[in-house]
Amino acid sequence: MAHFQIQDLSFSYPTAKGKESLHHVNITIQKGEYVVLCGKSGSGKTTLLRQLKSVLAPHGKRSGEILFNGTPIEKVSQRDQSSKIGYVMQNPDDQIVTDKVWHELAFGLESLGCDQKTMRARVSEMACYFGIADWFHKDVATLSGGQKQLLNLASIMAMQPEVLILDEPTSQLDPIAASDFLNTVRKINIELGTTVIITEHRLEDIFPYADRAIVMDAGRVIADDTPRNIGKLLYAQKNDMFAAMPTPVRVFYGAEGEGDCPLTVREGRNWLSNAYSDPKVKALPVEVLEDEVANPALSLKELWFRYEKDSPDVLRGVSAEVPKGSLYAIVGGNGAGKSTTLKAICGICKPYRGKVKVFGKSIEKYKSAELFGGCLAMLPQDPKSLFVKKTVREDLAEMTKDEKKIAEIASICEIESLLDSHPYDLSGGEQQRSALAKVLLTEPKLLLLDEPTKGIDSFFKEKLAAILCKLKEQGITIVMVSHDVEFCAKYADMVSMFFDGQILTTDTPRRFFGNNSFYTTAANRMSRHVFSMAVTAEDVIELCGRNRE
Amino acid sequence: MTDAFSKCHPAVNFLFFVGVIGTGVVIGHPAYLLAGTVTGVIYYLLLNGAKGLKMILGLLPLYIFLTAINPLLNTYGATPLFYLLGRPYTLEALLYGGTIAGMFVAMLIWFGCYNKVLTSDKFTSLFGNLIPAISLLLVMVLRMVPSFIRKAQQIIGARKSIGKGTQKLQEGMTVLGALTSWALEGSVITGDSMRARGYGSAKRSSFVIYRMTVLDRLLVVIMAALMAFTILAASLGQMSAIFTPALDIAPVSWGVIPYTAYLLIPVALHIKEAISWHISRSRI
Amino acid sequence: MKKSNIATLLVFLLLIPATLYLGMRLPGRSYYITGTLIIIELMLPFFLAFEGRKPQARELVVIAVMCAIAIAGRMAIPIPNFKATFAIIMLAGIAFGPEAGFMVGAVTAFVSNFFYGHGPFTPWQMMAYGAGGMLSGFLFAKGRLPRKPWIMAVFGFLCVILWVGPLLDCSHIFLMLSGISWEAVAATFASGFPVNVSQGVCTVLVMVLFGRPLLEKLDRIQVKYGMMEDENGL
Repeated sequence: MAHFQIQDLSFSYPTAKGKESLHHVNITIQKGEYVVLCGKSGSGKTTLLRQLKSVLAPHGKRSGEILFNGTPIEKVSQRDQSSKIGYVMQNPDDQIVTDKVWHELAFGLESLGCDQKTMRARVSEMACYFGIADWFHKDVATLSGGQKQLLNLASIMAMQPEVLILDEPTSQLDPIAASDFLNTVRKINIELGTTVIITEHRLEDIFPYADRAIVMDAGRVIADDTPRNIGKLLYAQKNDMFAAMPTPVRVFYGAEGEGDCPLTVREGRNWLSNAYSDPKVKALPVEVLEDEVANPALSLKELWFRYEKDSPDVLRGVSAEVPKGSLYAIVGGNGAGKSTTLKAICGICKPYRGKVKVFGKSIEKYKSAELFGGCLAMLPQDPKSLFVKKTVREDLAEMTKDEKKIAEIASICEIESLLDSHPYDLSGGEQQRSALAKVLLTEPKLLLLDEPTKGIDSFFKEKLAAILCKLKEQGITIVMVSHDVEFCAKYADMVSMFFDGQILTTDTPRRFFGNNSFYTTAANRMSRHVFSMAVTAEDVIELCGRNRE
Repeated sequence: MTDAFSKCHPAVNFLFFVGVIGTGVVIGHPAYLLAGTVTGVIYYLLLNGAKGLKMILGLLPLYIFLTAINPLLNTYGATPLFYLLGRPYTLEALLYGGTIAGMFVAMLIWFGCYNKVLTSDKFTSLFGNLIPAISLLLVMVLRMVPSFIRKAQQIIGARKSIGKGTQKLQEGMTVLGALTSWALEGSVITGDSMRARGYGSAKRSSFVIYRMTVLDRLLVVIMAALMAFTILAASLGQMSAIFTPALDIAPVSWGVIPYTAYLLIPVALHIKEAISWHISRSRI
Repeated sequence: MKKSNIATLLVFLLLIPATLYLGMRLPGRSYYITGTLIIIELMLPFFLAFEGRKPQARELVVIAVMCAIAIAGRMAIPIPNFKATFAIIMLAGIAFGPEAGFMVGAVTAFVSNFFYGHGPFTPWQMMAYGAGGMLSGFLFAKGRLPRKPWIMAVFGFLCVILWVGPLLDCSHIFLMLSGISWEAVAATFASGFPVNVSQGVCTVLVMVLFGRPLLEKLDRIQVKYGMMEDENGL
């Protein structure tokens, strides 16, 4: 018997005036399957997932049927649904209810009214399985995002669910924590046989292991097949979602490959070595970086900083020079001090040694109004921290009274249609662009971005990249801190490696990632044995193309 | 924390402090008061180390002030020491003031110990079964406070880096408003997460991470016995202390022994553990 | 009859008179302990009613959020001597009704003392804030008074000056004074007066500057999720 059977399901929100968010959806999910659900944001993924658990299902008009183990979902008791259908949401922080790790682990069991003995056994079991024992007694406030999301997962697994539904669980995590989390999910699927239904932006880590991929667009299921076939389908349909496919898939179809489509870097490497064993053209032209930057937009000299008197140094001699009009990316691990560097540039953190110069002038010599009015501005990591009003328009009006200016910036950021919405009713990508618009209204010549691609899908990333290009054309210098190596490789002019409180190397993306062998893009890892300095899927496709001529 | 009493079951901690504070605000006999203050100071110093000394010394001026002011406000008593603006400043009022101020200061010290021993998680765990909804509410507030402080700091930082944050009061209100919006939107997800994990689908039970040990049970019995003797002594009038109209303070009798013993329980446990640890280490 | 109503009756007919009687019979100084016990007993029916009602998840979360904002707001916003705590409690009562107002007030007072230190004043503070939040809810949530910033501000000021402040001062009177003489009581109230006025002024400022936008935010949440619709409060 199928685990979940969704039959002819349609759904519309009460405010949508008859427009359907889900349109005649038919899906069957077998026991123990690992199913990935993909689609652009707004395609109805979350709406569909929420229908699978009655307490989370939004109000609205619904037709069709959902069977859970053969029983209509409305007839399955709330208690059974609570324990048998686990649901992990996007935001790691907001899902946590209690103040201690151990209490959070027990929360679901407490709700079900389990007795002490059962709770003790389950909680200790979960703590061991998920490696939580070391931080069992900690306050949840001290955990990292990755640990929080793992705790959410463990707390749900403690109820021993048959199905695990995950709605973009890693969108707020850094890449290392994200792949740890996804590995744990995979382990649960393999070792416990728990059915997994997951939506994700980061298909690279999931696609190779998923049994099935379902693609949604505008509330309809447009493809439902094995991951290997999905790429072909989307490529043939010229669907926008093709851009979200893992790099090997994109390269394979982009270079008109033949045979079985590779899904992992390893398969991609094998395919490339067979197809292009002895390429005539081995590398794309590489631009060389000038050693001396004349009139840098931003220069950092030996910045040293620590948060408290006795705490270790976070910045240990950061030096950098950013040329005017460039997109400068700083990459590096978590907690290395990247965000702190941006704060030091803004003057939120005051380095105890070293100098920050913006357009040749030390920031201490600027008056605050002068520095932040038309010179420097920062887009924070969480766009929510910039919203203070009840519509986007009012938020923008907080920055300037000039309506023409607002209209102009809104059109650059493509948020004209969102101006009268409440900022919290927008999707992650829309919030990001609205916040960016607010920042741009200070008319900065130097724009700082803290993790601008966090939590947004590939489609919105391209939109963001287009906006950044437009800004660069206007002569704005952009400094960006990011975990997203693929994005940096594709769009940055210069990339710096941040490690151990300093900037260690700086180069053009091609040379920077081309010379790294671990900390680099999937495209480079896949092609480095055949081509050199190919760092994006487009690079590899172009080289393949040249060799086929 | 290495304090032995803090490691006992929260119920033992709670009962102990109820006893100390319940008797402390009632008994006005100087001998008992002295016992309460001295034991409180010792335990406070054991808990806080040298840092605690500063707070204890800081209470001294408060004590003197409260003592000295009482005769100014109350003129009862038969032995005027001197006259101020035509009102008598009496010995009885001064002594009574000293006693009341002593009770107040002793309470502050014992509350200082209480705050250190009965931490929030112990308190909520203690009442988790009795008042599940309120206990959960407390836990949720305790979880949200640090998270909101961090959010508020993020908002302040984000606004600084676009050049906002000059008018202080107005800005503070803006930050508070933004925090409220952010927190309320997050609360919807928290609510969903609770319901998704079965909140409201059955009668809640409460996971108790603390276990009653033999020592805990023993302590409860000891505490009950000592408290019973103390109450017996009190009902025999051993703790009566009358300051007005004339001094009439009962002579110190055996009742002070169980009372002091009760108050010394945490100190005794602390020392016992320190010694036994020392011995077990020297055997290695 | 509902369980919570029985509890209320028991408290008022038996528990409080018994406490008063025992308090008078107790040798030594019993003002403080008697007063505190009565304060706790007065709050008991409200807590039991909340407990017996088995609050919904969203209701619990919103009350928790309001408490946490009242506490965190004070710690995170660096304006010296500025306390928006009571204003936020009032607004919670105004937006969500008297019962939520009481819970937000009492829990805020209690939990904030985990950060600032519990003391003999804890139950008194809970009562002061809780009853203040409840009264705001009673007057404004039911439309007995219009939700105009100035009216809320005046009410808030009076509430702090005449109720919250004096009740806290009472705990000092019971705890620190030897005899309840007029001079002593007047002196305590006078010494507490500047603090109360400053708190009252803070409440007025918050209400005037911030009352309307915050209420809009709270109403938005209520509308968006249709929560607490069936709450009748008192």
